[in-house]
Amino acid sequence: MQIELFYSPGCTQCDGARTQLKAAALQRFPQVQWCECNVLEALDRAVELGVLSLPALAVNGDLLFPKLPTPQQLCAALEPLARDEC
Amino acid sequence: MLLNGRKQSMLTIGKLAALAQTTPDALRFYEREGLIAPTSKSEGGYRLYDAEAARRIRFIKQAQHCGFTLAEIHALLDLRATDAACCGDMRKRAIEKKLQLESRIKALKAMSDALGRLIADCNQERYPLDACPILAALESAELTASNGAR
Repeated sequence: MQIELFYSPGCTQCDGARTQLKAAALQRFPQVQWCECNVLEALDRAVELGVLSLPALAVNGDLLFPKLPTPQQLCAALEPLARDEC
Repeated sequence: MLLNGRKQSMLTIGKLAALAQTTPDALRFYEREGLIAPTSKSEGGYRLYDAEAARRIRFIKQAQHCGFTLAEIHALLDLRATDAACCGDMRKRAIEKKLQLESRIKALKAMSDALGRLIADCNQERYPLDACPILAALESAELTASNGAR
């Protein structure tokens, strides 16, 4: 599973939420490939995925969360995907 | 006439429009949209504005130039007046606007490419209309869309 988290650099509000999400996802699903993308350096990819607001999170190339989820919401969304991969 | 220091620096709608390089109608429109408001009214009932109004109008025009809608500009003006806001808040909105614009550019490019393909397919200008590949392609697309809707 690949997770791409698009963020705006300098957003202190995003920094804490990102750290929490990453920790929760990797603890529950160690196989996750976690990629944090500075939207200004990955603008084309963000547009391709349909990112319109920040921060946003895509899983396996699908924009599952146009706004950042809670760790619980993220883990709930990853659960069926992890099962499919097994 | 009230000609104290404050009143002397006030601007009528015409003067403000000239200063901000816009029209009185545009200023009345901004006022209806809640983006500006006269500071006071003259004894004759004419709107009067202070120098801040000119700065505000320049801000509105520049923001429109960057693609912000009037509703978004309203939010930007509120943010500008919020003590707790910082440069990062404004930057985030600018980045999100850029994402929206890039997304629209991508959609427009796809439309242009689709038209380009239709134009390339129709290379015989002397075909009768009922043999026109562009018409055929558009009708077929319409059929596909209406079939899909069922």
